[in-house]
Amino acid sequence: MAAEQKLMSVRRDWRERDVRVVLAALVIAVATVATIALFASQLQRTLVTSASSFLAADRQLEAENGRPIPDSWLQEADARGLETGQMVEFSTMVFGGEGFQLVSVKAVSNEYPLRGEIEVQEGPDSPRQLVSSGPGPGEVWINPRLLRLLELEIGDSLEVGNLELTVSGLLIREPDGGFRLSALAPRVMMHKDDVPSTGVVQEGSRVEFVYLFAGEEAALEGYYEWLQPQLEPSHEWEGVRDGETFSRSLQRAERFLLLGGSLAVLLAAVAVAVASRQYALSQRDTVALLKTLGLNGAGIGRLYLRRLLLWGVTGIVGGLLVALPLFWLLASMLSDVLERPVDISLDPAALAPALLTALVSLFAFAYPPIRRLRNVPAMRVLRSQPGESGREAWPDMLVAIVAIFGLVWLYAGELALVVSLLGGLVLLLAALGLLGWGMVTVLRRVRGGGNAWRLALVGLYRHRNASLSQIAVFAMTLMLAATLVLVRTSLLDDWQAQLPDDAPNHFLINIAPDTVDEVAGFWEGQGQPLEELYPMVRGRLTELNGQPVKEAVSKDERIGALNRELNLTWMDSLPEDNEIVEGQWFADGDQDGVSVEAELAGRLGLQLGDELTFTIGSEKVTETVTSIRTVQWDSMKPNFYMAFPPGGGLEGLPATWITSFYLPPEKNTALNDFSRQFPTVSVLEIDHIISRIQEIVQQVTRAIEAILALILAAALVVMAAVVSATLRDRQREGALLRTLGGRQSLLVRSTMLEFAVLGGFAGLLGVVAAEAAVYALQFRMFEGSFSWHWQVIIPIPLISAIVLSLFGRWQLRPVLSVSPMLLLRRLE
Amino acid sequence: MNQMTKPTPESQPPMLRAKDLTHRVRLENDTLTILQGVNLEINRGESVAIVGRSGSGKTTLLGLLAGLDTPTEGSVELDGATISQLSEDERAQLRASRVGFVFQSFQLLPALTALENVMLPLELAGIGDPEKRARELLERVGLGERLTHTPRQLSGGEQQRVAIARAFASEPVVLFADEPTGNLDNRTGQAVSDLLMALNREQGTTLVMVTHDEHLAARCARQFHIEAGQLTEPNELGEPVS
Repeated sequence: MAAEQKLMSVRRDWRERDVRVVLAALVIAVATVATIALFASQLQRTLVTSASSFLAADRQLEAENGRPIPDSWLQEADARGLETGQMVEFSTMVFGGEGFQLVSVKAVSNEYPLRGEIEVQEGPDSPRQLVSSGPGPGEVWINPRLLRLLELEIGDSLEVGNLELTVSGLLIREPDGGFRLSALAPRVMMHKDDVPSTGVVQEGSRVEFVYLFAGEEAALEGYYEWLQPQLEPSHEWEGVRDGETFSRSLQRAERFLLLGGSLAVLLAAVAVAVASRQYALSQRDTVALLKTLGLNGAGIGRLYLRRLLLWGVTGIVGGLLVALPLFWLLASMLSDVLERPVDISLDPAALAPALLTALVSLFAFAYPPIRRLRNVPAMRVLRSQPGESGREAWPDMLVAIVAIFGLVWLYAGELALVVSLLGGLVLLLAALGLLGWGMVTVLRRVRGGGNAWRLALVGLYRHRNASLSQIAVFAMTLMLAATLVLVRTSLLDDWQAQLPDDAPNHFLINIAPDTVDEVAGFWEGQGQPLEELYPMVRGRLTELNGQPVKEAVSKDERIGALNRELNLTWMDSLPEDNEIVEGQWFADGDQDGVSVEAELAGRLGLQLGDELTFTIGSEKVTETVTSIRTVQWDSMKPNFYMAFPPGGGLEGLPATWITSFYLPPEKNTALNDFSRQFPTVSVLEIDHIISRIQEIVQQVTRAIEAILALILAAALVVMAAVVSATLRDRQREGALLRTLGGRQSLLVRSTMLEFAVLGGFAGLLGVVAAEAAVYALQFRMFEGSFSWHWQVIIPIPLISAIVLSLFGRWQLRPVLSVSPMLLLRRLE
Repeated sequence: MNQMTKPTPESQPPMLRAKDLTHRVRLENDTLTILQGVNLEINRGESVAIVGRSGSGKTTLLGLLAGLDTPTEGSVELDGATISQLSEDERAQLRASRVGFVFQSFQLLPALTALENVMLPLELAGIGDPEKRARELLERVGLGERLTHTPRQLSGGEQQRVAIARAFASEPVVLFADEPTGNLDNRTGQAVSDLLMALNREQGTTLVMVTHDEHLAARCARQFHIEAGQLTEPNELGEPVS
């Protein structure tokens, strides 16, 4: 036993190149997975907080019916430990300074906002500041545009109904400034307790009561379960993840991080597998010797198992030592991006996947070849025995593949991801089989000569087994890295495309039909043409195939669209960013049918030919579903769940028109002229929503870059592992070739060519497999559309060929710098 | 290329001539002299054995004579070319066209079959139809049935026969053998050295062999002794002459 222990020493192990590679792979695996997991958990918390602040809470309950909710509902929320807050929103005329103006009032309780902050200014030239509560009783904060419109100054008074309030601040940004249709005219924010004194809110007036809730996720869910049966159609319960605009960015970010983590796991596992197999091969003489000295198979097993555990501990500790500072760095970068402090905290649960990765890599990949060491015969000391053919490793490989994909599944929680990657790998293996067969049949005919090309091809043929396994590993590495690059690129492109610099940042709502041309003309004159104008009719979906919709749809489905009035429209051509996924768009002259947004159709289980009945005011309209289309919700353009053909079901119903357009900040004053000329048209400013989304995109982009760097490091370790696996053989061959009279230049050229061919093939296979995986991923996870990425299909094989041929050159270095004599002796 | 012209010995300088060869290697804080002032002339077609104990410097001498390494001092002429004046590539060219090697540890490439191992120098020298010539040679050394076997599947004696076939493949004018039977048992060693000598005679090659086996050395026309870096050639009576 003492002898066994003496044989174990990390320091001695460290001298072995293969052990260094195994340790490096483990450290990178643990570091990558831990960093990603920690950061993803931090990012998620930050994003949720950030996105929650869009609601100024974790959940909102809106009552559109003009009646407050029963007190008992709020008491129940209190009892469940939830924070609550209240708002009342209504439109009214205000008087002050030189005139009057239609405004949108938001009266808030002391608790508002439960999440996020309000941005205010004490005067037009004062610095902006963030505050965490609204104006006090007797005060009012107003939009700067209103200040200009009414020619008011800070400290002046503003009449809201019967009440006179003091303008004490300018409202720059409210955390929940979403697309609420009541929030149309310039905003005025006051205290909720002042509302009764204004006398504006009376029975029957158009008022929206909004209730804010914040607290533990479980408590919120529990509360909703309690609340749901009591909700009326006019009540709308809204959570962050229901918000169409943000949840998509958020989900994609999460998924990307998980994808990155999974790829890191795969890469590290490959590196561990290659290096430990190589280590096991190099240990066979030692094992044979130990056996002749009297150590039995079990003793050998124990010896190497303990060594493995030692590596595991070293890898985990090393990995965490890398991961923690990296995480702090990323997290503090995050708070820089957000320009506000982020509460950085270590989520211990996030470390579990890293530890699991280390253990699975060690036991599924490193252990099997090392375990087989106990079978090395002592006879080997006397007579070199045939090495492993590789066939006995197959069952282990199978176990390892299952283990690693199981890990990815567990880690990413997405079967689609596992299936996509596995599919890409299967394709890769099939292509490799084909390539191997092709290599054997084609290259067999090549005969060597002084020509470097022929020598290189002959070399490839001779090392066909080694070449194929190298191509396999390189191709897999490239596939994983390329997958990540492609997904990253398409993710960022998608975001960029959705939010170009001139993305619409203002909505015009409530345009009367007879002023549509005039409104369009106004902005045309300002040099800011409007996007498409759409008519809008508010209506509720009430029946599905003649059955009340709430009965027709399973109760489990929480469908916001059913709880509120929908914006219905008619249009003759499909908007550019919409896409028909089923059925046909209306032909010219068609007056029947309705086109439904795909996600809603999915949730309602709608099929082509289903009959939908809408209640619009006192009218009922029934139409058949003729097409299902996708919509870009985050395009910042008017989007509709339901579209009718011109002259169709909505014909004759009262409609107003809606549009969006881009207004550069320096032209903001044009809004004042516009409001004077068209007082009934509502202007909705959404600059801050756009900048919020851009913030999120930026955060995620940073994270993505950091993760990409880690993945590339993992890929390099894989390369190093593979290179180190064949280094000795290649050096021996190089030395011998030189002894037999090969010129240095010939050796260099043929080796570089051989590696270039290897790299080119690996690159090509890797890219094609990556495309396949990306195709599947895009399709299933990122909801993007697929196209071939020529920008990687051509350069990656090229770069891979160049890099590998330089690698080959680098491997030859010792062969060229030392006399062949010395080299042969050294390698003996 | 295929047929090296072999002029008559009288009209030609010696095949190998070493003048004042000295070789030192630098250790961490010391220099070790491995060879000291070695002078040697070997004529065309001669067979020469260099005998000495382990560590006497004989393998180093062989390497220098074959142009695998360059001496610290002195010069080596091989077939009229002064090796120390040649560039590494020119030396490689010289080895490819005129020199063959047989090593104690065979030095076959494990990934290659017997046939491919023998083809290797032919391919490097750009000699036409290497496969045909390699087959003939392997048949000549009695391994016609083992062409597709890799070194692992061959015994030590068989591996050395492959190495000998490889050494003669490019029809070298001089063959260097470093303890060719050192890793083999007596009987196998005997068979291998028989083969080596026979091929040498057939092809009229100059043979330079390093060995500590007196029996093997005795089969060569001349014997040199090396001890502590100094070379001596015993006269007919077995007494050393300088």
